[in-house]
Amino acid sequence: MKLVDKGDTLTVTDVKELGASNSDAFRDEVKAALPNGFKTVEIDLSETNFIDSCGLGALIAIQKFATGHNGLVAVRLLNPLPAVQQLFELTRLHRIFEIVRR
Amino acid sequence: MSEPRAKSSTCAHFRYSLPCDIAEVPSARRAVRRFLSEQGLDEEELSACELALAEACNNAIQNVREEGISHPVEITVLCTNSKVEMCINDRTPGFDWPDEVTLPDLQSERGRGLFFIQSFMDTASYFRGKDENSLVMRKMRCHQEHRQAAAAASADTIQQRLEETQHALSDMARELCFRTESLSAIFRCSTQLGRTNNLPEFAQQLLTDLLHITSADWFVLRVVEGLQLVQFAASPDFQGGEPLSLTDVGHNAPSVELEGALARHDVAFGPNRPLATNDPLGRKDPYGTGLVRPFLAAGNLVGTLTVGKSNSNQAFNAAQAKVIHTFADFLGIQIVNGRLREEQLTGRLLAHELDIASNIQRSLLPKSLPQLRNFGVAGYCESAKQVGGDFYDVLQLSDNSLLLVVADVMGKGVPAALFAAILHSLIRALPEWTQHPSELLARINWHMYEELSSVDMFVTAQMALINSKKNQMTVASAGHCPILLAQGGSPHVKSIAPEGMPLGILPTTRFVEETIDLRPPCRILLHTDGLTETGDCDSIGAQKRLKCWLKESLLRDRTAEQLRDELAGELRKAQLSAPLQDDQTFLIVAEQQTDDVPEPCAPKSQFIDSIENQKSKIQDS
Repeated sequence: MKLVDKGDTLTVTDVKELGASNSDAFRDEVKAALPNGFKTVEIDLSETNFIDSCGLGALIAIQKFATGHNGLVAVRLLNPLPAVQQLFELTRLHRIFEIVRR
Repeated sequence: MSEPRAKSSTCAHFRYSLPCDIAEVPSARRAVRRFLSEQGLDEEELSACELALAEACNNAIQNVREEGISHPVEITVLCTNSKVEMCINDRTPGFDWPDEVTLPDLQSERGRGLFFIQSFMDTASYFRGKDENSLVMRKMRCHQEHRQAAAAASADTIQQRLEETQHALSDMARELCFRTESLSAIFRCSTQLGRTNNLPEFAQQLLTDLLHITSADWFVLRVVEGLQLVQFAASPDFQGGEPLSLTDVGHNAPSVELEGALARHDVAFGPNRPLATNDPLGRKDPYGTGLVRPFLAAGNLVGTLTVGKSNSNQAFNAAQAKVIHTFADFLGIQIVNGRLREEQLTGRLLAHELDIASNIQRSLLPKSLPQLRNFGVAGYCESAKQVGGDFYDVLQLSDNSLLLVVADVMGKGVPAALFAAILHSLIRALPEWTQHPSELLARINWHMYEELSSVDMFVTAQMALINSKKNQMTVASAGHCPILLAQGGSPHVKSIAPEGMPLGILPTTRFVEETIDLRPPCRILLHTDGLTETGDCDSIGAQKRLKCWLKESLLRDRTAEQLRDELAGELRKAQLSAPLQDDQTFLIVAEQQTDDVPEPCAPKSQFIDSIENQKSKIQDS
């Protein structure tokens, strides 16, 4: 996992998997980076082959933290693979996440 | 940690011990994914299983009881062509599997694990135990996609399996085809058999069908007759084979048929075991390939069926051999049944023949006997079970003379009855000699010799010419038992047996004639040896008894009919202890002392006229 500072935007890349073994660490790291004045967090899921319920929980926690704590940070999920997209839809989470393809 | 146990085309299983550490879950996930990938699961199935497994492991580790931390989470995966089954043991406090798994609030960070398991698996069951619980999840596999994946994974194996399956299917189809063909051939021929009852022809047709069914070229069917294997039916080129001896094995030429018959099991011949050049089959087809099938009934050898190919050195396959077995066994049953039918038929024919013989014999016996003024005559003839050639006859030669004849044709059945009929006719055809019994017998012998000797039969006969005017009896015998004569003034019963050979022994023979004066009262008994072979005592004893009876009868004033009934009663008494062995025939003559006897009851017959005509002719010449 890499965190890239792009001025207003924090980009999270290089996420191969997002499961119980790493979801807590992932959540905590992103949350810790957010107070540094970013307006947007973009999580690149284009390389994420696996997400489980804990991974989804981590994304929800980040989303809640971003909108609740600082109030103004937007969370975007970039280019999820079809299997992961399927999970968002199955759990209706695509309704609360901004999923962006570019 | 990982322990792949077995991998096969139908069922593979895989075990993995996951340490109770959440960081280890990805390794377990990947290992299971790899295993399932090898089993040919497609990407969608792999993702579904991986996610369900991850959720189960997360639950097992995140909620583990304190004492369970030191135990690994055991994962067992079972994969068949139709499904994947994953079992995960946990040491959590456990939970009640909800009737309906629902999604949590969108903002909830937890509680989607069960939902994923439910969504991606076809069934999931949670079993709660004392220390351990088990979650068993099943996913049915999509076959078409699986096959495509599998084909890509190991095209060669699949191709090989496909060929094997096709081979097995075509074998089964061929077998089924054989069965149907053999059944229809059997039914067709059975119908034919019902119409013709010709077993060799039936076998010929059935086995010709067998050749078509098994792609064979020739057959030889042999059947046990006595101690030989005799050809019963065969292909045209193989017909006329010599019988094979079942006993004289050492001196026989080598024969696969004989070998199979004696060993009572199949003998195959062909390139690996060629027919000997002096084997009867080897002489016909030295390079033949085929099978000898002995067939039995009730443990006894009935015959052998040999089927061979001239143009192929490929042995019969299992299916063809089975068809040959079926045909051979079926024919065996037919042959045994055919023999039973033949025996029954022979039995019926024999019974019918005995009926005919019995009818002839009865028709020969005179319906009423001519009588003389002072001599009464009565006759008796009782047949044993197997009809013989006994008969008696009484001819009136003149107002005061009678010719009495008792004869016994040696032999049974129709031939014996026919010779009795010939004898009966000859006596009437030679009226010029009837006054001289010895001459009559000589002439009859001359006429009958050729026919009798050609069938090794002979006839014993005795004749008594009674002249009431002269009170004389002239007797001649052809090897017959003696005439018994009891008369007043004589203490003994006289046995009269003038010398003479039975009829049919020599072409020309002389018969001695004896003339006896008769003194009233007298009893004359002409009989066959059936009377003295009664079975209850020896023939000497029986003769003595017969003589005693005849002597005592003199003391009673009886007619010939009364005496006949008395003697018949005595004979029946003797039979009570032993069944009748031979025909019993006798003529009894009782001289009536009084002169008030009525005129002879039989009118002067045409026979007397013919005698007188003949006499005048002789005198004229």
